[in-house]
Amino acid sequence: MAMRKAGQSSPLRQGWDALTRQIGDALDNRKIAGRPIRWYLTGWRGGVLALLVAALYPFIASFSPDNAQTLISTGIAVGIYVLLALGLNIVVGYAGLLDLGYVAFFVLGAYTIAVGTGGIMKDAAGKVIQIPQFNLWILLIVGALIAGIFGVLLGAPTLRLRGDYLAIVTLGFGEIVPIVFNNIPFFYGAFGLTAVPPAPIETPIGVIDFGSFTDHTAFYFLVLALIVLVVLFVVLLRDSSLGRAWIAIREDETAAAASGVNLVRTKLLAFGLGATMGGLGGVLQGSYLSHVDPGSFNFNISISILAMIVLGGIGSLPGVILGAIVFRFFDVYLLGVINDWISGTFLVASPTAPLHFLYNLPNQAQFLITGVVLLLMIVLRPQGLIPNVRRQRELKGEGVSAEALSVVGALEAEEISEVAVVGLGAEDATEYAGPGSDARGREE
Amino acid sequence: MATDDILLQLSGVTRIFGGLTAVDSVDLDVQRGQIVSVIGPNGAGKTTVFNVITGLYKPSSGRVIFEGRSIGGLAPDSVLRRGIARTFQNIRLFNNMSVLENVLVGQHITYPGDLFSLTFRLPNYQRAVKAANQRAIELLSFFGSKLVDMKDEYAANLSYADRRRVEIARALGSSPKLLLLDEPTAGMNDAETAEAVTYIQRLRREFNLSVLLIEHKLQVTMGISDHIAVLDYGKKIAEGTPAEVQHDERVIEAYLGRKTTVVE
Repeated sequence: MAMRKAGQSSPLRQGWDALTRQIGDALDNRKIAGRPIRWYLTGWRGGVLALLVAALYPFIASFSPDNAQTLISTGIAVGIYVLLALGLNIVVGYAGLLDLGYVAFFVLGAYTIAVGTGGIMKDAAGKVIQIPQFNLWILLIVGALIAGIFGVLLGAPTLRLRGDYLAIVTLGFGEIVPIVFNNIPFFYGAFGLTAVPPAPIETPIGVIDFGSFTDHTAFYFLVLALIVLVVLFVVLLRDSSLGRAWIAIREDETAAAASGVNLVRTKLLAFGLGATMGGLGGVLQGSYLSHVDPGSFNFNISISILAMIVLGGIGSLPGVILGAIVFRFFDVYLLGVINDWISGTFLVASPTAPLHFLYNLPNQAQFLITGVVLLLMIVLRPQGLIPNVRRQRELKGEGVSAEALSVVGALEAEEISEVAVVGLGAEDATEYAGPGSDARGREE
Repeated sequence: MATDDILLQLSGVTRIFGGLTAVDSVDLDVQRGQIVSVIGPNGAGKTTVFNVITGLYKPSSGRVIFEGRSIGGLAPDSVLRRGIARTFQNIRLFNNMSVLENVLVGQHITYPGDLFSLTFRLPNYQRAVKAANQRAIELLSFFGSKLVDMKDEYAANLSYADRRRVEIARALGSSPKLLLLDEPTAGMNDAETAEAVTYIQRLRREFNLSVLLIEHKLQVTMGISDHIAVLDYGKKIAEGTPAEVQHDERVIEAYLGRKTTVVE
């Protein structure tokens, strides 16, 4: 393999840099009504704009009548994952707790609606229990609460673990919950349960049917409304003293505790709130699919949601929303379109065609394709599509810019003992550099 | 001085890590309004004493009493609520937060903790925000106007001495009664050290604080301490006024005896 000289970047990176530079320039220099495009896309203006697009989406979709319901239904599938990504972002993005079992809360929400819409259950003795049919609004709240409570129950004993250990415990939880539903006859095991669609509601402006199988628009707007509520809630949290405490914990747990942040409580809040949103997403998913079984909730979902927020920009609200949209839209819709297009071309379609091996390949290679895209992202844009400023600084190593620092400061970022060498006389320095320096040697 | 004036009292505090006794039944009193220094060679257990006081470590045995109540084994944030704040030897600022945000985290305990108040920005939360912002500026201006001007700068971009100052401002945010400073002049040059000495004395005066200090530089400890405790191998080997400690043979041995071996 040809070796590149140091400092010379690959053609891939050069191309990428040129592309991002061009996009950046366009955002800054192209003006609409005297303002650069970037101005319209930042802060609340970007949010309003995005909401407008999302609200118009069903009408845009209706321009293609054959496809409209598929597109709207895709919008629902995407929207549910946006909710999940928003929830996981609180846990991973804000508080910095790696949760690999987020699917557990999704399952709990989904089973809440399946059981709560008139499920006919059997207890251990085989006695039939008819569960009354609760309405969707109650189930949304109950599902979110149940997931939140389980989040706190799981968090209480495990959140004292750090980093990898927490990841492994949460991973276990994510595996256990679907298995529990699988193994309890009460929930009909692997067969799962059917969630009855919510009944139509009569309003002065007409009948709204969230459960319609032929027109998904009402349900789409329900999902959208919940996303708006959750986003507002998350923004309020993020910009509060609690949001600051989360960042403090992520940056330096010990210093945060010594500054008065109650670690257990603050982490539990992140975990519980994240779980709540997972539960909310689960209720919607159960209602949307109208069937819930343990097999459809697996580890892939936990990892996908994590991948969405990394792709979009971990810790950045517009980032994780965009990440979820891009990722999920590709999975649910775009991949199928690409697959059908490739499979339909004359070089591929017929079993005797020369490129027939490509038939259905995109669908089969779904994970391969997402894997490659993610890999490229990690190499080319590790901070995500719309990065969070702080996170970007953390990625660059404590966010220390060399120009901004004195020699002493630059050294300090590397290793405290070296500072002592610079800052003190050589005689004192021997003391500092000694292996017994008690803060470093013991403060583990 | 009357025993009523004792703010912090350690009695028989021991901390064991595996087979290592880092702190071995240490007794230490800090009177209200005093500046007390803990000195000793590296690895003597000074920082471990700080960690036990502030709740980062539980004492293996012994009692930590603050204002007449036991605080041994409390979580760090509870210790802070009782009125003990600290800084760290190796400066633990939140580097990717602004200077102002760092000081605001220091005031975390002054905000209402319930989710409802902070989500809906209820009046009690808004009052806390306003007070905390005001207080943060006050605390930063303790070190002159420079830090106030730099309040929106990332903490990582500050000079070393400024980072030490911000860390102290953060610790003051909780309005502590006792401030623990872990080597506040480490890595500073002579001019900065001299300035640090002045502001430690001002801290006591202006904030009505008692200060417990770990310090290596003898010109700092000897100049400002009311009382000095000397640790070596986790044990307290001497204590007294600066003059007494300076002439204590065990202290000279612990310090100079070690140093000769290092020079060789």
